[in-house]
Amino acid sequence: MRFVVNGVEHEVESHGLQPLLAVLREEVGITSPKAGCQQGGCGACTVLVDGEPRRSCLIPAGALNGVEITTVEGLGTPEHLGPVQAAFHEHYGSQCGFCTPGFLLATHALIKRSPGADRGQIEEALAGHACRCTGYVKILEAVEAAVGGAR
Amino acid sequence: MKAVGARLPRYDGVAHVTGRTQFVDDFRVPNMLWAKALRSPVDHAAIKKLDVKKAAAIKGVHAIVTWEDVPRLVYGHLEALGIPGDEPLLAKDEVRYKGQPIALVAAEDEDTAQLAVAEIQIDFDERPALFDIRKAADPDAPQAHHWGNWYPHFEAEMDVRQIRKGDIDRAFDQADTIVTGVYRPAAIEQLPLETQTALVVPEPSGRLTIYSCTQALYFSMGVVAAHLEWPLNKLKFVGGTVGGGFGGKVDTAAETVSALAALKSGLPVKWRWTREEEFLCSSTRAPWHMEIADAVTKDGWILGRRMLTLHDSGAFARFSPYGVTKHSFHHTGAYTIPNLHFDGYCVFTNRVPTTAMRGFGVTSVSFATELHVSRVAEVLGIDPFELRLKNANRIGDTSPNGIAYADPSTVPTIHAIADAIGHELPADYRTMNREARGGDLLPEHLVAQVGKVDH
Repeated sequence: MRFVVNGVEHEVESHGLQPLLAVLREEVGITSPKAGCQQGGCGACTVLVDGEPRRSCLIPAGALNGVEITTVEGLGTPEHLGPVQAAFHEHYGSQCGFCTPGFLLATHALIKRSPGADRGQIEEALAGHACRCTGYVKILEAVEAAVGGAR
Repeated sequence: MKAVGARLPRYDGVAHVTGRTQFVDDFRVPNMLWAKALRSPVDHAAIKKLDVKKAAAIKGVHAIVTWEDVPRLVYGHLEALGIPGDEPLLAKDEVRYKGQPIALVAAEDEDTAQLAVAEIQIDFDERPALFDIRKAADPDAPQAHHWGNWYPHFEAEMDVRQIRKGDIDRAFDQADTIVTGVYRPAAIEQLPLETQTALVVPEPSGRLTIYSCTQALYFSMGVVAAHLEWPLNKLKFVGGTVGGGFGGKVDTAAETVSALAALKSGLPVKWRWTREEEFLCSSTRAPWHMEIADAVTKDGWILGRRMLTLHDSGAFARFSPYGVTKHSFHHTGAYTIPNLHFDGYCVFTNRVPTTAMRGFGVTSVSFATELHVSRVAEVLGIDPFELRLKNANRIGDTSPNGIAYADPSTVPTIHAIADAIGHELPADYRTMNREARGGDLLPEHLVAQVGKVDH
C-alpha cells in the first residue's frame, strides 16, 4: 500500500489485515497514536484519515491505499506549535499525555468542520475520548480556547 | 518562591502536544520479542499439570518462563517494612485468583506468542472460592490463603489492627443515643490509558536495561533485583513517564517476568498488557466493609466510636496491611472523637490483589465518616454543618494514633463550603476557628485528651 503520512508518502509492506495503528507504530515509526484498548473504545489511537478522525486500531491497512493520514506530529513542531497544540499546552489540557494526541486530532477536525463550535458540539466531538487524569475540565477549557482562537 | 501561585508551563507539555513524549511502548530496539501471558482462567485451583514443551516447539517462540525459572519465587512488596512475602511471581502448584500469571511466552510477534500460550498444557483441580469478606470467618468458608483468611502478621503477630483510645465503655454509658451505620464502597479499577508495559533489553555488559511505567522506580528496581537475586548495579531502570497510574502502577506488574524472559531468550522482550488483562487482573482499589457505632449526646458531641473494618486484600497481601494501618490512623476523618475502639482486618479472598489508589486506605474511611456524621446530624435533628464544626479537628487535638494536629483545616474548609452554597450559620458557629479548644468547646469529655497535649 501507498499512503501519505503528514505530507510524506510511504510504501508499506504490512499484511493488509494489520490495523493502521500497528502499521504506523511498528513499520512507519510514528508512535503518537497509542494502543490504549485496541478495540475502538478509548480514542488514544485516533488519527485523521483524509481529515476525518478515525480509530487507527480498527482500520485494516488494506483499506488505506491512496489516503492522506495526519498524526499529531503533523500539526506542528516544538518550535512552531499549531494553534490546537498551543491551546492545550497553555490551558493545561494534557496531564500524563497518553490520551493527548487523540484529543488534539479530534479538536483539530472539529474546528475544520465547525469553526464556531459551542460547548455542546465540543462535548459531542470528544465523546469517544477517554482521559483518566484531568477530569476533562482542563481539556474542555483548552478546546474552547482553541475554538475561540480559530474564530 | 517563583512557583507558588504562578502559572508555570508543564515541563513536559510541549512534548505531550507534539507526540514526542516517549512512553515505554514507544521505545524501539532491534530484534525485540513480544510477550504474552498464560493466566489462570479459574478463581481458585490446584495446578495438577503444567507442560510447556509443545508450546516451546512452535516456530518463532524463543523462551517460555514459568515458576521454575525464578531464582526467588516469593518476595513481598513490603518485606522491608516487616510484611512477609506470600505471593509467587508465577503460580507454582496453585492459583488463587482469575488472571493470576502462570507463564510468559516470548516470541517473534504477538500472534505467535498468543498461539503458543494456547498450546501450554495445564490441568486444574478447582477449589471453592471466597469472594465475600463478610463470610471469611464462617466455619465453612473456603480457605483463600495459606495464612488463613485474614492477615496474621501485624505488630506482635496480631491478626488485627487495633486502636484503643480513652475509655470507650464510659463514652457509651454517657451517650444519649447510639448511631450506627454500615458502609461498603466497592472496588475501583484505576484504568490508566497506558496499560502495564515493560521493555527489557539485555546489554552486552551482562546488565539489563528495563523500561518501566512504574510509579515507583527505585521500589520496582528493588523488587526485580530481589526476585532475580541480583545486585542493584546490574539493573538500569528507565522510567518516570507514566501514562496514568493513580496508585495501580506502584505494584511491580510486568518488569520482573519480562526480565526473566529477556535473560532466557537473550533478546529484548516487550510485555504490553491488553485492556482485557487490565480489567481482569490489574490490582484495583479494595472493596471495604465498615461498621460504625457512635456514642453521641443530644447537643451533638461525638463522645466515642466503635468501628469494625474488613479490608478486601484479594488473594495476596502486597501493600494491604499498610493500607489498613493508614485507614486506622484516619478512622475519625476530619473530626476529633476522644474515645475509640477500632478493629481492622486485612481479609484474603479469591479476588485480584488490591492496592493503592489515590489516598490509599483513607478515602474509604473518609467516605464512611462523612456519611456517618450526616447520619448523626439527621438522627439528632441538628444542622450537619453545626455538628461538623463542633466536632472538627482543632489545633492540639489528637488523631486516633495520638498525633497532635498542628495545622488542621476542617473548620475553615466547612466555613468555605457553607459560603459556597449560601448556607447560613449562627453567629457562634460563624466565628468558630481552629485554635485550641477552650470554654464551651472544651466539654468535660475532651478535657482529659486536651490536657495531655504539650503546647
